[in-house]
Amino acid sequence: MTDLALRIEGLGKRYRSLPGLRNTASLRDRLNEQVTGRWRRLTGRSPAEVLDRSATGFWALSDVSFDVQPGEALGVLGHNGSGKSTLLRILARVTNPTTGWVESQGRVRALLEVGTGFHHELSGRENVYLSGAILGMRRAEIRANFDEIVALSGVERFLDVPVKRYSSGMALRLAFAVAAHLESDILLLDEILAVGDAAFQRGCLEKIQQLQRQGRTILFVSHDVQALRALCPRAVVLEAGRLAYLGPTDQAIERYSRSSLAA
Amino acid sequence: MSVNTCGATAGLSSSAAPYFQTSTSNRFPCAMSIVTQHAYAASVSAHKPRAALRRIEPDRGWPKLGLGELCEHAELLGFFVWRDIKVRYKQTVFGVAWAVLQPLATMIVFSVVFGRLAKLDSDGIPYPAFCLAGLLPWMLFASGLTQSANSLVGNVNLLNKVYFPRMLLPIANVAAGLVDLCVSLPLLFVVLVWCGVTPGWNLLLLPLPLALVVVTATGAGLWLAAANAQYRDIRFVLPFLVQLWMYGTPIVYSFNLIPKEWQAAVAINPLVSAVGLFRFAVLGVGAPGATAVVVSICSATALLVSGSWYFRATERSFIDTI
Repeated sequence: MTDLALRIEGLGKRYRSLPGLRNTASLRDRLNEQVTGRWRRLTGRSPAEVLDRSATGFWALSDVSFDVQPGEALGVLGHNGSGKSTLLRILARVTNPTTGWVESQGRVRALLEVGTGFHHELSGRENVYLSGAILGMRRAEIRANFDEIVALSGVERFLDVPVKRYSSGMALRLAFAVAAHLESDILLLDEILAVGDAAFQRGCLEKIQQLQRQGRTILFVSHDVQALRALCPRAVVLEAGRLAYLGPTDQAIERYSRSSLAA
Repeated sequence: MSVNTCGATAGLSSSAAPYFQTSTSNRFPCAMSIVTQHAYAASVSAHKPRAALRRIEPDRGWPKLGLGELCEHAELLGFFVWRDIKVRYKQTVFGVAWAVLQPLATMIVFSVVFGRLAKLDSDGIPYPAFCLAGLLPWMLFASGLTQSANSLVGNVNLLNKVYFPRMLLPIANVAAGLVDLCVSLPLLFVVLVWCGVTPGWNLLLLPLPLALVVVTATGAGLWLAAANAQYRDIRFVLPFLVQLWMYGTPIVYSFNLIPKEWQAAVAINPLVSAVGLFRFAVLGVGAPGATAVVVSICSATALLVSGSWYFRATERSFIDTI
């Protein structure tokens, strides 16, 4: 066990204020926090010191630590607001952690939503290139995979039609087909099965299993207990931003459903 | 496999890059052994992971410019430019012709108001040609600035879902303006011919004013885009700013209208020299002095450097405040 795909240590994320609370903090408070916080950061005082003093805000994630083995498919379970998405957003470098750190080895690619980078005015063909590039593919890679992407999506006949004229199912299939061809070592998937019908979900699951067999590391956030069981031997349960359980998926699911009964 | 319960303090106190100290992080061995292990892994599975170690941690200290990362993403920049141009003229009847119609219409109105009615001095050049030669670099600047100032706010859904160097968005918007300029440049030459002005070898100077405009627009665009992400007031400031900036730049009037002793000071606005040089390149008149050009180059560079710095410094919290 000398080689890890992901190592997460003491990861925490504090949001300065909840959107709803924004107006309740006075302008003076906000200015004060802005100015003193920035000053302290500039003068190099430790973030912990700064955080203690400005204790306002909301910890979406706190003190989460775990490791992921290369080639492992790890499930992430938790109720809405438990910090799953925040965790993935940090791993995807969309947002920065407030405390702690992550070390990753290999190319990390995130699919936090099906259809990232799609522009509804552009045609299907154009969107394959655009969203592919935005998700981190090279033009040559996209060109090489183009036929396969189109075949997987099944929208050959509408490739030159603007995506805004697509049915939502067609757009989803095309978007997923692009994402499925991402060259990645570590793939982050957030609730991608929540959209689309049963056939789409089955297709996704098959493709993910195929990626898994190729030895890619996968972090899979889902509420779909069946899919988690099929895909992930281990799972993490998050509760209120903290790591509540890490272990075999069956036990994790049990823990998760127990807490949903309590809630 | 156990849950690691090292607290937040462990993460905070760890030094920036312990990658090569096998003693402190024995789970992440030195680069050499990562390579060999991956060679082994490759023989077992079809998928070959790349040994790229990356560390994500809270930001502190001075922001880094990350020029290398920007260069790595040149292809994505191209895609953003292409997208902006494609989308801009979608579902319009005149399409890309708008890039010509806008300066043409403005030129006509300005020629009537400032040329005929106000009889502003135009360095002996017919007013339409004089005015259009100022409008083209100005429009490159104004559209680049406006679009890039809104580039982050307009792409929140993207910023929320995927990582790429955020600077690409404002830069792409300025670059897209260059494509518009290429479309509208022939109009200028048509007007020149019609007014009986023949450009000379001065034309070779054209890249210099264009570079000045691009640097200024990018610098100001980075400032405003980053500020706009936090303070939506920028949306109200922007139209004013652009309008005032236009009257502060010799577009409807000549650079020579500015008193000699003031020219170098006014050139702190880089567009003063940019428009002057552009006119000199295509019309052969109204060259700004060397001092003015140097002042402008310095202030444009300062704007770009400070803009990049501010952008980088606030980039860390964009997505949480936008």
